[in-house]
Amino acid sequence: MNILNVQDLVTFQATETVAFYAVAIVAICLSLGVIADRNVIRAGFVLIGVFGGISLLFLMLQAQFLALAQIMIYAVGITLVVVIALMLTNPRLEKEAEAEELTGERAPLFAMVDAVKGAFPAVVGWFSFFTLYLAVRSEGWNVTDEAVSPDNLKVLGESLTTSYSLPFEFASVLLLAALIGAIMLAKAERKSTGSEIETVD
Amino acid sequence: MQSELSESKPAMTKFVWTFVYACLVVICVFFLLGQSTNVDGNQSIMKGDLDATMFFGITAAGLIFHYVFGASALGCLAVGSVGSFVLLTIGQEPLVRYLTLSALLFAIGMYGMVRSRNAVRVLMSIELMLNAVNLNLIAFARYIDPGAVKGQLFAIFILTVAAAEAAVGLAIVLSVYRTTQTVDMNKFNLLRW
Repeated sequence: MNILNVQDLVTFQATETVAFYAVAIVAICLSLGVIADRNVIRAGFVLIGVFGGISLLFLMLQAQFLALAQIMIYAVGITLVVVIALMLTNPRLEKEAEAEELTGERAPLFAMVDAVKGAFPAVVGWFSFFTLYLAVRSEGWNVTDEAVSPDNLKVLGESLTTSYSLPFEFASVLLLAALIGAIMLAKAERKSTGSEIETVD
Repeated sequence: MQSELSESKPAMTKFVWTFVYACLVVICVFFLLGQSTNVDGNQSIMKGDLDATMFFGITAAGLIFHYVFGASALGCLAVGSVGSFVLLTIGQEPLVRYLTLSALLFAIGMYGMVRSRNAVRVLMSIELMLNAVNLNLIAFARYIDPGAVKGQLFAIFILTVAAAEAAVGLAIVLSVYRTTQTVDMNKFNLLRW
């Protein structure tokens, strides 16, 4: 930063602001697409876009290691698992459910209760966003101007192996347990067919 | 009768009313931008709660445009959330911008988690929420604590937990699907007594 003069700094900040808004708007629109898309498989692929956008934001926040880890773990690993799970289950579920709801007739009072129940998640989401925003805005953050040190990966590695080594080990145990648990849960016991569902071991 | 009426309404009107709503939101944003470039404009905006008032106004206008004029729901939602995000953060410092974005993503994820009927989509929404938390932590690491980047450290742990959660959650979904032949959240009542 010492090489830059004030004018350059202002232009840099303006560029950063524009880039932030561009990426943020794309991420918001894509995440709305994730929750609203009728086609769940497409929603799974749109999720890659959201994760990519957020990893760009990580790059802007000078967290290079986490940006790449984000792409590797979320955008490739988790999304792959999600899409495979979608293909193994019933991706047309929500379309069918919607068709069912349209055909059913309800009494007006029940319809009103249903409408209120349906609006409840939106109200909760709106309200939590607004509350969080008010809390964030009115807090006096003491922001420092200094940049993240260029060798922040070294700092991260050192603290992971010294002061945070116990949580690190716990995380590895958690991953191992999750791996074994997922295999145990998803493993097919026998060649189960639809007729065998009624039989109890 | 109701559905026939709404289907016979041409798609053009829907689009036009969504466009009118978008124009309204853009005008609001530019108005607030003009206010915030004044001397001490940002302080006066926050003191008079102008941004919160305009956020309320945008929400109410979106509801009116959707339910009265029949603008498209998703269009109104997208325009309203993007518009109010820009409106609320336009004069703020960068940390508040990142925190607001993360709050918005968290709220969207929460809405999707409660609303969706497909169990896999619920898991996708949870991933979205965890990502919003990560963004929060990394913004703190950048602006509050750039020396010892503790926020990034906790983000690494959240990444681990998210991976474990996705693996176990999807295995549970697959297992339940094998038993009940459905991934409908409304029909997951195996544990009901």
